[in-house]
Amino acid sequence: MLEELRQTCRALLADGKADVVIGYAQDDPAMPAYPVFVTRPEDADRLVWNEMCLPNLVAYLTRPEIKALGKPAVVVKGCDERALVVLAREGQVDRGEMVAIGVACDGVGKPREAKCSICDVHQPRYADVVMGQAKNEPVDAAARYAEVEEFLKKTPVERMAFWREELSRCVKCYACRQVCPLCYCTRCIADKNQPQCIDTSATLKGNFAWHLTRAFHLAGRCAGCDECTRACPVGINLRLLNLTLARSAEAQFGYRSGMDPEAKPVVGSYSLQDKEEFIR
Amino acid sequence: MSEIISQEKLRRLVGEWISAGKRVYGPRRPKPGPVLYAWLKAADELLLDGYVRPANSIKEVVFPRHEVLYSYRLEGKKISMGEPEPLSAERIVVGARPCDAASLTILDHVFNWDYKDSFYNRRRELTTVITVACSRHDAHCFCTSVGLAPDAERGSDVLLIDLGDGSYEARCVTEKGRKLLAGLTEQSSKTGRVPPGPEPKFDPSEIRSILEGNFDSPLWQELTLRCMGCGACSYSCPTCHCFDIADEGNARAGARARNWDSCQFGLFTLHASGHNPRTRQGQRQRQRLLHKFSIYPAKFGEVLCTGCGNCTRNCPVSLGVQTVLQQAVKRVPVTNGSETAAKSA
Repeated sequence: MLEELRQTCRALLADGKADVVIGYAQDDPAMPAYPVFVTRPEDADRLVWNEMCLPNLVAYLTRPEIKALGKPAVVVKGCDERALVVLAREGQVDRGEMVAIGVACDGVGKPREAKCSICDVHQPRYADVVMGQAKNEPVDAAARYAEVEEFLKKTPVERMAFWREELSRCVKCYACRQVCPLCYCTRCIADKNQPQCIDTSATLKGNFAWHLTRAFHLAGRCAGCDECTRACPVGINLRLLNLTLARSAEAQFGYRSGMDPEAKPVVGSYSLQDKEEFIR
Repeated sequence: MSEIISQEKLRRLVGEWISAGKRVYGPRRPKPGPVLYAWLKAADELLLDGYVRPANSIKEVVFPRHEVLYSYRLEGKKISMGEPEPLSAERIVVGARPCDAASLTILDHVFNWDYKDSFYNRRRELTTVITVACSRHDAHCFCTSVGLAPDAERGSDVLLIDLGDGSYEARCVTEKGRKLLAGLTEQSSKTGRVPPGPEPKFDPSEIRSILEGNFDSPLWQELTLRCMGCGACSYSCPTCHCFDIADEGNARAGARARNWDSCQFGLFTLHASGHNPRTRQGQRQRQRLLHKFSIYPAKFGEVLCTGCGNCTRNCPVSLGVQTVLQQAVKRVPVTNGSETAAKSA
């Protein structure tokens, strides 16, 4: 599969079908693989694919520095591909002007990332070319949101105490935002300082303001790649926030972000059949 | 002869200090999650072994991520200004790593250079640092490349070295340390030895010449292209000390505060005119390295890095001082300052 991946990327570059391959490289098999930008066919041998390929490379597609390299081909796992589906639906990438190289994935990370235990997209579904075979077994909604359901058994007071403890550790490094493929705003509201919309202070008030604003902006959009949780240097469980909103989007609108490229985004669509009166 | 203290006794002391109203800061393991330095509420929260080093640094004790400088309140036509409460509680850091303790002596320069920062200095005076020497390191550690070692004493008031039998050799490095542990240690013939640290990975003076001779090289952009632009490196770094001044509040009350800032953010250098001298991430990465290995050494005679490796460890895409500099050394053969342009880039 690795040779197939390298061969495919070499050919894409040699045939001019892509100017840059955004993939993974690795120096030591025990260490995480890291993003690499291959522009010459002879460098395709730098590419690797294994369970240490954690980052969601889709986030690079909207970066000016990467766009400047030309037409991209990007290596995607099934979960990363969901973010790509959202980006295309939101008009941020033109799927015709890029190549998605899917890789079958049995899960990443040692130990396995939490997202992998509830994954039903091991095999990429919409990539232009897919390497390897994995099986997409359905995961029922109860299992998908088990972490949220468990959390909701706590009393509101206990839940607030949990979030106070979690968010008190936030130092506002914005790693959650920077790694997020869907946080592509040219100027984030947290960076709008004339006037300052959100406290820049890493106080409990400023941290709640930041994380709740971000969660709401990702409501019905977050594709669940969980990069924010992985990137957080102080280990805040941001997955729990995102899953809570994903659960609502599914329960209220039968919508799962990034699953169906044809589905109308839940935040960007409107239906006369909506159960809420105020919207009609 | 040496002085020793058992881990049990140290833990008991921590409990006594907390009960006596002292603020104790040390490695704590949240469940689940990374080991982090934090203000401890009880002695049993202190975690003394089983990890390389915490994912954050002790700089927060002397340079908090958010510090109110003054406040204001408007009531009718009356305006009142408020100063923050003067600090008085003694602070004890227990279980610092040598790469954390050393950062304090580095930060001292910058907060006492042309302006004596009373906020920093007050916290520093109130703080005593008990360091535990490293008995292991990982691939990200590079203290030996910046003149430190697993048992470096710099910045520590007490250095503890694990004797492997549930006790530590306690080296009181300063008067402050001696005072804190006076009468609490036992005499012993045992002395501690630490395993060797990481192999040196680069030479800071070579790095300085590479950085200074290749300012305009495309190498920096190329080596750091994957940087996603967060501040995880700066904020978990024991020596990064840049801050922003923020006014927060409303028409009735508010405060002016000092908050951590990072050179990795685009906003860091954005001028009021809209011009930004550093528009690309590669320029921001180059700046961070320049500050650490050229600008700071030129001003204060030492590098702004203790080799803790937190930058790489916390980077979502495994970049960091060591990652970038090892590549730079490979790519730029040092001949002399003027001929070192990265031709390969």
